[in-house]
Amino acid sequence: MTAGTDPIRARLADMIVEASGRELRAEDVLAGDHPLSALGLTSLARISLIDAVEDAFDCQIDLGGPLASFEYLDVLATHLARLGAGDPAGPPR
Amino acid sequence: MSAGTARVPFHGARDGEAALTWGQRLMWRAVHLMGDSQTFLNCPWVLAVYGRRDLTTVLAALRVLLERHESLRTTFTATPDGPVQRVTRDGELTVHLVEAGPERGLQVAERLAAEMSRTAFAHGEDLPLRCAVVLKGGRPMALAFCFSHLAVDYQALSLLAEEWRALLKGEDLPPAGWQPMDQAALEREESWQARSGRSIEHWRSVLEEVPLDVFDHAPREPEDPRFIEVGMESVALAAAAERLAERWTVSTTSILIASCATVLAVVSGRPRAVMQLVHSNRRDARTRTMVGTVGQDGLLVLDLPATDFAAACRDAHRAALQAYRNAHYDPFAMQSMREEIGRRRGREPDLDAFFNDRRGIGDWPSLPRFAPGQDLSVLTGKTRTYVTNAWPGVRFKAFFTVGTATDTGQLSLIIDTAYLTRDTATTLLLAIETILVRSLTEEVPMAEIPRLCLQPS
Repeated sequence: MTAGTDPIRARLADMIVEASGRELRAEDVLAGDHPLSALGLTSLARISLIDAVEDAFDCQIDLGGPLASFEYLDVLATHLARLGAGDPAGPPR
Repeated sequence: MSAGTARVPFHGARDGEAALTWGQRLMWRAVHLMGDSQTFLNCPWVLAVYGRRDLTTVLAALRVLLERHESLRTTFTATPDGPVQRVTRDGELTVHLVEAGPERGLQVAERLAAEMSRTAFAHGEDLPLRCAVVLKGGRPMALAFCFSHLAVDYQALSLLAEEWRALLKGEDLPPAGWQPMDQAALEREESWQARSGRSIEHWRSVLEEVPLDVFDHAPREPEDPRFIEVGMESVALAAAAERLAERWTVSTTSILIASCATVLAVVSGRPRAVMQLVHSNRRDARTRTMVGTVGQDGLLVLDLPATDFAAACRDAHRAALQAYRNAHYDPFAMQSMREEIGRRRGREPDLDAFFNDRRGIGDWPSLPRFAPGQDLSVLTGKTRTYVTNAWPGVRFKAFFTVGTATDTGQLSLIIDTAYLTRDTATTLLLAIETILVRSLTEEVPMAEIPRLCLQPS
């Protein structure tokens, strides 16, 4: 994790909580100790999350590379930061 | 014993006509492909009547369901501009009343639901459900239904069952929300069309390379009827799947997908399994309370690892995510792409290998509890296999289904007996159980799995 990913992590954590139907808590997600499946995020919720991330960050998620399992908050945050999605609340890139 | 009929008049909030949703388009095509065998797609369903409710109360609750859910008031018709859904505001459902006699009400209802499901719907004219109320001494005990799959999927049936319980308790339901006509409008929006396009491109990339047939070997003289379903009920299967899912941090569905895809690849003599995954597809929160048919098929590609079954499960977990993600598309546009591939390759690849997990949840909540580490292999002695059904005209080569029982693992396999024998199907199901149970205590090398699949277990 880098400092540049902090706002993205926070936004992603909120989106993960939302995708889980508010079953998960943001603090557990942000702790990053466990894969999202281990926290209880279902496959369907992960698909909803992918759609939400693509819409919010105006990007396309490629599940063929490091995001294949879509399980780790920090991997996702770093990936989005590299795409230049540093300000998730900002206008679409 | 027939005790006559009752009428349930309904008056919904709106009527209308719209294009079919993607889920409906998939079913529309399946219904027409299956022809006389389309009754395979009918959905038998039973609802118990809780408490001592009289017939008036039961019929009033049924009326509420019909009025809340436009899908239950919809007919489906071909027009020059393509098939449409037509929602009627007012109408009447005729309900058959049946006295149970000495049998249990639920038992009679299950039999009636199965009987009603043997007749195809005239989708342009009929309401998409049939219903009978089973009575005992004049008191309602259960409702038997047959639904058209154009109107509901299994998630929708679960929603109806939840609302049914609340209605019989006299509870008020929140206003009904998202309806299939709303969904049809949403699917025409640019962002949804773009997602559909991306899914279709993913499928195209697979179809350009996939073998044209599910099996390389020539067909044999099939049984008559040609297609049979072999079932297995195994507590050991479910208990092992739960433990492995927890150990490997994947879902029980991923464990079962991995095992079914592995045995399919092994029996077809290939290092790669390609299967369609039936997916609930309720990824948009608005669809989660919608009664309708939302499910679509994803395309799973699993290359068998060289190592062990644990690796296959982890790979399957990732491959399933890729498949589910690309299970969101306009089926008519998908069919155009498949036909284009067919023209280029000589014919369309045969993708008639399927996996469907019908459970709405990821575990088996009524499974007997076992101590951590307790040996599950002794449970395999209680496993039961059987031939459950047969249809003359379904066209699956292999179709695995995880059933909805909550106290045991139900896994079935529909086979085309021109390619697989019923003995082979039984062996494959038992091999899956063996792989899962053995994986609890040892690594199961992939190299050992053919021996389990190709010999009687």
